[in-house]
Amino acid sequence: MTQQTLMAILILSPLVGFLINGVRYKKHSAEVAGAIATGAAVISFISALIMVIDLVGMPAEERRITVQFFDWITIEKLKISAGFTLDQISAIMVLVVTGVGSLIHLFSIGYMRHDKGVAKYFSYLNLFLFNMLLLVLGDNLLVMFVGWEGVGLCSYLLIGFWFTDKEKAAAGMKAFITNRVGDAAFLLGMFVLFLTFGTLNFQEINHMVPLTSELMWMAPITLGTLFLFIGATGKSAQIPLYVWLPDAMAGPTPVSALIHAATMVTAGVYMIIRLNPLFMMAPNTMMVIAIIGGLTAVLAATIGMTQWDIKKVLAYSTVSQLGYMFLACGVGAFGAALFHLMTHAFFKALMFLGSGSVIHAMHEEQDIRKMGGLKKHLPYTHATFFVGWLAIIGAPLLSGFFSKDEILWQSFHSPRGHVLFWIMGVLGAVMTAFYMTRLMALTFWGKSRVSKDVHPHESPMIMLIPLIVLAILSAVGGWIGIPHIISEILPGQPGNILETWLEPLIKAVPGTEAGEPSQEWALMATSVTLAAISAFVAFHFYVKDPAKPKKVAESLGKVYEVVYNKYFVDEAYFGWIINPLVKLSKGIWYYVDVNFIDKTTYVVADLVRGGGQFVRGMQNGNIQQYAMYIGLGVVAMMTYVLMR
Amino acid sequence: MSADVFLFWFLAILTLAGGLTTVLVTNPIYSALALAFAMIGVSALFVTLNAYFLAGVQLIVYAGAVTVLFVMVLMMFDLKHEITAFTRGKFTGLVKSGTVALLAGILVGAIAMTSDLFLKISGTPEVALGGGDGTKELGKILFSKYIFGFEALGILLLIVAIGAVALARSKGGTHAKQ
Amino acid sequence: MPSSDFLQQVGLPHYLILSAILFVAGMAGVLLRRNAMVILMSVELMLNAVNLSFVAFSHYLGQMDGQVMVFFVMTIAAAEVSVGLAILVSIFKRFKEINIRFFEHLKG
Repeated sequence: MTQQTLMAILILSPLVGFLINGVRYKKHSAEVAGAIATGAAVISFISALIMVIDLVGMPAEERRITVQFFDWITIEKLKISAGFTLDQISAIMVLVVTGVGSLIHLFSIGYMRHDKGVAKYFSYLNLFLFNMLLLVLGDNLLVMFVGWEGVGLCSYLLIGFWFTDKEKAAAGMKAFITNRVGDAAFLLGMFVLFLTFGTLNFQEINHMVPLTSELMWMAPITLGTLFLFIGATGKSAQIPLYVWLPDAMAGPTPVSALIHAATMVTAGVYMIIRLNPLFMMAPNTMMVIAIIGGLTAVLAATIGMTQWDIKKVLAYSTVSQLGYMFLACGVGAFGAALFHLMTHAFFKALMFLGSGSVIHAMHEEQDIRKMGGLKKHLPYTHATFFVGWLAIIGAPLLSGFFSKDEILWQSFHSPRGHVLFWIMGVLGAVMTAFYMTRLMALTFWGKSRVSKDVHPHESPMIMLIPLIVLAILSAVGGWIGIPHIISEILPGQPGNILETWLEPLIKAVPGTEAGEPSQEWALMATSVTLAAISAFVAFHFYVKDPAKPKKVAESLGKVYEVVYNKYFVDEAYFGWIINPLVKLSKGIWYYVDVNFIDKTTYVVADLVRGGGQFVRGMQNGNIQQYAMYIGLGVVAMMTYVLMR
Repeated sequence: MSADVFLFWFLAILTLAGGLTTVLVTNPIYSALALAFAMIGVSALFVTLNAYFLAGVQLIVYAGAVTVLFVMVLMMFDLKHEITAFTRGKFTGLVKSGTVALLAGILVGAIAMTSDLFLKISGTPEVALGGGDGTKELGKILFSKYIFGFEALGILLLIVAIGAVALARSKGGTHAKQ
Repeated sequence: MPSSDFLQQVGLPHYLILSAILFVAGMAGVLLRRNAMVILMSVELMLNAVNLSFVAFSHYLGQMDGQVMVFFVMTIAAAEVSVGLAILVSIFKRFKEINIRFFEHLKG
C-alpha cells in the first residue's frame, strides 16, 4: 500500500461512514449505524498505525510522510494544495484522535441505542472525525482551518442534537457563535502571517522563522501569533471565550467525551505546538498565552468546586486542564503540552464515558446530590472511574502525574517561566484534587441518596470495554514520557521516549540551563503532597462529615455565591455585548433595511409600474391613432434621411 | 402654353379636387362619387404618360369594379343618420392634421430640392420602348421577368375570391346571436 | 422656384408632387375620418397616388418596370378592397355600426 493510498484511507474512511449513515439515516438501526461508524473509525486508526510504524522506521531527521492530493488554490502568490503531513507531532495526535475516537464510537452504540435519531448521530460523529483529521493532518493553515471550521460545525450539530429542547439548541448556537468569534481572529492571524511569510504551509513557515531574528519582524509575528492564539481560545475554551463549553454538556455524553475532552478542544493547543518555532519568536505572545492559561486553569477549577451536575464538573475540569496545556505552551514546554494533551485525552474521556455510564444507570439523572454509594451498584464503572480520578489528581506513576508534573516543572524552570506560573499551577492542582475527590465521594462513595424509584444497574459490556481500555491507558500511558530525574533512578534508565521522538520538531527554549535535580524533586514533592492533602480534606468533607461543606459555603457567603454563579461572566457577556449588539442589529434593520433599502425597491417598482401605465395609454384601441404613429414614424425617418 | 401642359394642369386640378372631396365631405355616397372622379382623372393622367394599357385597366378595375363595390355596400348599409364624420378629440385631431401636413411638406420639399436632377430627364423623352405602344413591352416583361409574381397574383385572386365569399356567408363572428 | 418655368414645362417633379399631395390627402382621410367605408376609400386614394408616381417614373426613366409594379398594385388593391368590404359587411351584420369609435376592442 502506498503512502498516498494509506493517507487517503485514513482521511476518507470517516467521510464515507458519514455519507452512508447520513443518506440512510432513517433506515439504519443503532447496531448497523454504529457498526458502520465504528468500523470507519477503526479503519482510520489502523491505517494511521501502519503509517506511524513506517515513520518509526525512518531516520529521525526525516520522519515525515507528506501527501499532496491536488492543487486547491493557485492565485498569484497564494498557492495552497490539499496536502497532508504525518510527522512526529501529528502522529501522536492522529493516534489519539482515531484511537480514543474509535472507543467512543463503540461506547455510543450502547449509550444511544434507544435514541430515535441514532443513525444521524453516528453520521455526525463520523463527519467530526473526518474534519478533525483534516485539522490534524493538514500541512498548511488553510486546510487546518477547513477542519477547524468543520469540527465547529459538527460540535454545533452534536451539542444541539436534541434540538427540540430549546435550551439544548441554544447551547449549540452558543458554541458555534463563540467559536466563530475565535475563527475571525484565526483568519486575521492567517492574513498577517501570509503577508509576512508569503506562505501558509507549516513547514515553510517554520523553516523561514530562523531568518527572522531581526527586530523588525517582531511586530507582524507577534500580531499574527496573537490573533492565532485568540482563535485558539475560542476553540479550546480559554478566557475569554470559554463560556460555551459548560453549556455544551447539553449534548449526548459520548459527544462531550469525544469533542469536548479529547479532541476538538485540543485543536488550539495542537495548532500552537505545530507552529512552535514561530511562537518562540514572539515572547510577548507567549507571555500572554501563559498568563491566560494559568488564569483559566485556576478560575475554572474554582467554579468546578461548586457545581452539582456531574458533567458540568467535568466540563470545568476540562477547561482547567486546557489551561495547563496553554500554560505549558506559554513557557515553551511544547512537548509537555502535547504529552498532557494525550494523557488528558485518556483520563478525561474515561471519566466522561464513566459519567455517561452513571447517567445511563440513573435513568438520565445528572445531579450528584441525588447520587451516592453507587460503588456497589456500578462496580466496573467505579473501578475505571477510580483510575481516572487517580490520574487527574496526579497520583504518582499514573499518566496524569508525569504530564502535569512536567508542566509544573517547566513553568518554574524554563527561561520564559516564572515562579508565579508555578504557583498558579500548584493552586490549580490542589483545587483539581479537591473537586475531583468531591465528585467521586458524592457519586460513588458514602451513603446512598438515590431516590427510591431509581434502580441503578451496571452498563452492558459494549459500554464497559472502552472504559476498561481507557483506564489501562490512563494508568500506563504516562510511561512514554518519564522525566529524566525519575528515569535515572529506574533500572535500565529508559529515558524520555516522547521527548526523543519529538526532538527534531520541538527544540528546547534557548537559554535553558540544566536543571538542578534536587530542585526538581523538591517541587515535585511539594505539589504531590499538597494535592494529596487536598484530596484527603475533600474525602473528609464529603464522605465523613457531609454537613461541614455546607457550613464552609455559608461562612463564605457572598464569595460562594459569586463562584457558584460562574462569576456572572455569562450575564456580563449578555448585558455588555450580546444585548447591545442585538439592539444595534434591530436598529439597523429597521432604519436601514426597512426604511431605506426596501423603500428603494418599492420606489423602483412603482416607477416601473408607472412607466408601464403611461405607455399603456398608447394602446387605446383607436386604430387611427396607431396609423398616426406610423405616419409620425415615417415623417421622422424621412427627416433623418433628408437631413444627412 | 402648349396643349399637353394645359392638359396636365387641367387633369391635375380635377384629380386633386376629386381626392380632396373624397376626404372632406360627410356623406359617404358623395365620397364614393368623388373617388370615382379622382380615379378617372388618374386614368387620364396615365394616358398623358403614354401608359395606355394601364389607363384602360385603371378605368375598368378601379373606376368600374371597385367603385361599384363601394356604392353597393354603402347602399346595403343604409345609414339613416349622419355619423360624426371626423375624429373626436380636438387635440388628437390637431396632431393628426399636423402629421399629415408635415409629411406633405417633407415630400414636396424633397421633390422640389431634387428637381434639377429630375428636370434633366424631363420633357417628353422618346419612349424607347416601342413608341406609343408600350403594351407589347409590358406584356413581354410581365411574362418573362415577373412571371413568378404574375402567377402568384393569380393564386392570390383565387384565395381572395374564396375568402370573400366565406366572409360574406358567415353569420357575424363568434359572438353573434345565432 | 422660377414660377414661369414651372408652369410652362411639365416634367417628372410635377407628377411626383401631384402624387404626393394625393397621397397625403388619402392619409389625412385615413387618420381623420370615422366612417369605415370612407377610410377604405381613402386607402384606395393613396394606392392610386402611388400608382401615378410609379407610372411617371416609368415614363421618364424609359423602363417598363414601373408599369409592372402598377399592374401588381392594382390587382392587389382590388383584392384588398373586396376582402375589406366583406369584413365590413360582417361587422355591420354583427354590430349594426360602422363608426370606428365603437371598435376599440384592442384597448389595453
